[in-house]
Amino acid sequence: MKRLFRGLIRLVLIVAGFLFIFNLPSLLGIGKDHIEINFERFWVNLTSDFQFLFQSNQDKYLEMLKKLHIVESYQYTMTILLSSLLFIIFLAMITAILIFLSPEKVKNKLKSGLNFFEGIPDLLIIFLFQFFVITLYKSTGLKFLQLYGLFGHKPYFVPIMTVSFLPFFLLLQFLIKIIDEEQYQQYVLYAKAKGMDRIRILLVHIMRNIFPLLILQLRTIVWILLSNIYLVEILFKISGFNQQLFKIIFMDGEFSVLVLCLLMLSFPLVVIETAGWFISKLIKGKGAVSI
Amino acid sequence: MRNYEKTIIGSTLLLLLLIMSLLYPYYGPKDFNHQVLVKNEQGDIIGRAPFPPSGQHLLGTNRNGEDMHWLLLYGAKFTLISAFGVALLRVFLGGIFGIFLSMWAPFLKGYVKDFFLTFRYIPSILIAILLMIPIVGDFNDVAVSSIVTYQIIILVFIGFPSVTIFASDVTDQLLQTSFVQSSKLMGAGKLHIVRKQLMPYIRSYGILFSVQQFISTLHITMQLGLFGMFLGGRNRAGVMGYEEPPKPATITNEWAGLIGQNFSEFVRAPWAILTPVFGFFIVIVIVNMMKNELEGNLNGVKVVKEKKKKDLSPKVAAYSADQFEFVQK
Repeated sequence: MKRLFRGLIRLVLIVAGFLFIFNLPSLLGIGKDHIEINFERFWVNLTSDFQFLFQSNQDKYLEMLKKLHIVESYQYTMTILLSSLLFIIFLAMITAILIFLSPEKVKNKLKSGLNFFEGIPDLLIIFLFQFFVITLYKSTGLKFLQLYGLFGHKPYFVPIMTVSFLPFFLLLQFLIKIIDEEQYQQYVLYAKAKGMDRIRILLVHIMRNIFPLLILQLRTIVWILLSNIYLVEILFKISGFNQQLFKIIFMDGEFSVLVLCLLMLSFPLVVIETAGWFISKLIKGKGAVSI
Repeated sequence: MRNYEKTIIGSTLLLLLLIMSLLYPYYGPKDFNHQVLVKNEQGDIIGRAPFPPSGQHLLGTNRNGEDMHWLLLYGAKFTLISAFGVALLRVFLGGIFGIFLSMWAPFLKGYVKDFFLTFRYIPSILIAILLMIPIVGDFNDVAVSSIVTYQIIILVFIGFPSVTIFASDVTDQLLQTSFVQSSKLMGAGKLHIVRKQLMPYIRSYGILFSVQQFISTLHITMQLGLFGMFLGGRNRAGVMGYEEPPKPATITNEWAGLIGQNFSEFVRAPWAILTPVFGFFIVIVIVNMMKNELEGNLNGVKVVKEKKKKDLSPKVAAYSADQFEFVQK
């Protein structure tokens, strides 16, 4: 009973927080030369938004969603997200393993080189990719890399590359850090003492043990990917999900459609968080058994 | 043990940039070497802005024929001051609120987290755009000061929840340490603990947080600039050749505004966008360097203790074969 009550309070708070954040502009009105705080207007907008949330006006929403091709664009954006995620994980794993198999001196150099990529703004990467594709086209006349999403084109290759660039380095850095820490664990030392070769220890034993940590880290990666995809879609004029969202925002669309779209946008994060939750629970359970 | 070399060098560089930018009116050309058409001796037009980078225009010019390097130098102060101010405000307000939560109202922490849950699931750039649109989304005739105040409030608000929760987490951890616990047992009040025990940590964490928030503010203003939400609002008819309908231009020439203003020229004049982005990049690299050093300093205290513990483990010495002797020869 108490838990139910708490859950109810939390739900109310989440909705209240959401409404508060999105109605902040009506609280802080802007005067000719100063900021006006207007509680009355704030309250009116808040309640009307609240009513919008719970009004069932399904036909209208469906019509609007159809008009904006929400389903197709959502599929497209999620395809990009998923493929770049898989691409990043695959590539980062392979690179991390290669770095660990390389000689000590090279390894240290590579590690300090990785730190450099931490500070690069995502916009710079996007612009550089754009610049590269355009100059490639200008100098060779070949158009094998499609950049812009005009006339309903849905390019895959360049957006995925652009979006995955920085998260790849982030994940690689993380992997190297945790594999480094794992090197001094008892089981690794034991395996080494038994004479197992390095590749087998790394591939079988260490990989198995860092897997849960990797899943937990994926939330950050997905988060960065989402905001990068947002920027890429707007800059490359690709009509993906975020572009539709942008239209809804700028056309001052229905509040509930906006909420629905935001929920759809945060869905991958929820999925990855649930996965992380289950895995951490699994580990805790195992720990309890072994103790 | 603690060194602040990189931090000192980095902040000196940023300060130098800021001072140069502040003193710009005293030495720089007022119109940024405004020059749209280039004519030869006969009076024929041989070139039209934007010009590519060359000896005459170090970083090229934009569509208005203004030199990018002068523009960058002039606009640096707005970018740096606003980002730094926002970062400080975020850390100050968020830090106070976070410490308050941990010390006096720990039961509220979960609820505060729930209240700001939206920030965990929606990219902050989206929230920023949504909140900025009503004010900066279009041309308006409101005083610049009120627009800037509004923008700063929004920017501070966006970073506030994460700072609060982070500060509260750090305080919670510190409250578990033995010196705070023993101070509590000896009857110290909460205010005393904050003032005496937590203060040194608050100082160093405060600096670290400010540096982190500085970077994140730079990122967000850069992205907002891309969407035409410049610091200080939009300026009509600031771009040559786009008088009707007016194309938004930045009033202050701050870097994010330069990116947004020149973005449509990407194919013709990529330098006009790449230079401000590189400017951001350089500032962020400097600040990131400072951040890494500060983080290292903070962790250094713990690392030293751990190392001492490790030394206690039994030493494995190597014995060579000639040190052994068979008992029965």
